[in-house]
Amino acid sequence: MTQSTLVTAASGDDPGDGLRAVRSLRELADRLETLQVERARSLGWSWQEIAEALGVSKQAVHKKHGRRI
Amino acid sequence: MFEKFTKEARQVVVHAQHVAREEHSGSIDGRHLLVSLAESDGPAAGALTDAGLDPAEVSTSVRGAIRAGDPLDGTSLAALGIDLDAVRARTDALFGEGSLDRAGSSRRLWARRKATGHIPFTPDAKKALELSLREALRLKHRGIDSRHLLLGLLRDENGPGARALSDAGAHPERLRHQLENLAA
Repeated sequence: MTQSTLVTAASGDDPGDGLRAVRSLRELADRLETLQVERARSLGWSWQEIAEALGVSKQAVHKKHGRRI
Repeated sequence: MFEKFTKEARQVVVHAQHVAREEHSGSIDGRHLLVSLAESDGPAAGALTDAGLDPAEVSTSVRGAIRAGDPLDGTSLAALGIDLDAVRARTDALFGEGSLDRAGSSRRLWARRKATGHIPFTPDAKKALELSLREALRLKHRGIDSRHLLLGLLRDENGPGARALSDAGAHPERLRHQLENLAA
């Protein structure tokens, strides 16, 4: 998929379609993050290492995933 | 509570798990129970027919509603060039089967699914199961079969199962009447 088709779909004619696509993308990203963080923890990664890989603060990643995993 | 369920009613509960898996739901709510009841060939499906509904249509429309309510929408993602089935194949391989679906459920349900390996019931689905027991007691029936399950779903009028039934064109009072007269 080219960059332009992605932009076209994300900014399609109907705002409803575009917004639903954004919502689904966000949901997909959230779920993948949950699964990846869980796996990294089980492989012994520290919260600091995970935070750096995600490009967020250690506090943020711990707050979001700490109780779940 | 399940020891009072007939074999047929247990199969309905088991099949609700399959429905949730097929629709990629992270949990089982009243709608999944309703689809399972409509797809069974027990007395509940018969009562739906007697009340003027087509069980196959109920199943199709409620499954459609479950899919439409899923925040992860394969059609929207396809418009972006993302193949959700391909993503699922990868997450199944790397994180285990159904991992992408369970990752979408609440923290509490996720923990329970990890512990048991089963797709968990939502509180409303549990309530419907408990109400089916109460319906059987009220009607002085010894066992809980699919009729009581459907009565239990109807009893929780604002629950997702009862609402989905109304959306599918059911008349709750008429259906309840059918079910109570069928029950023996």
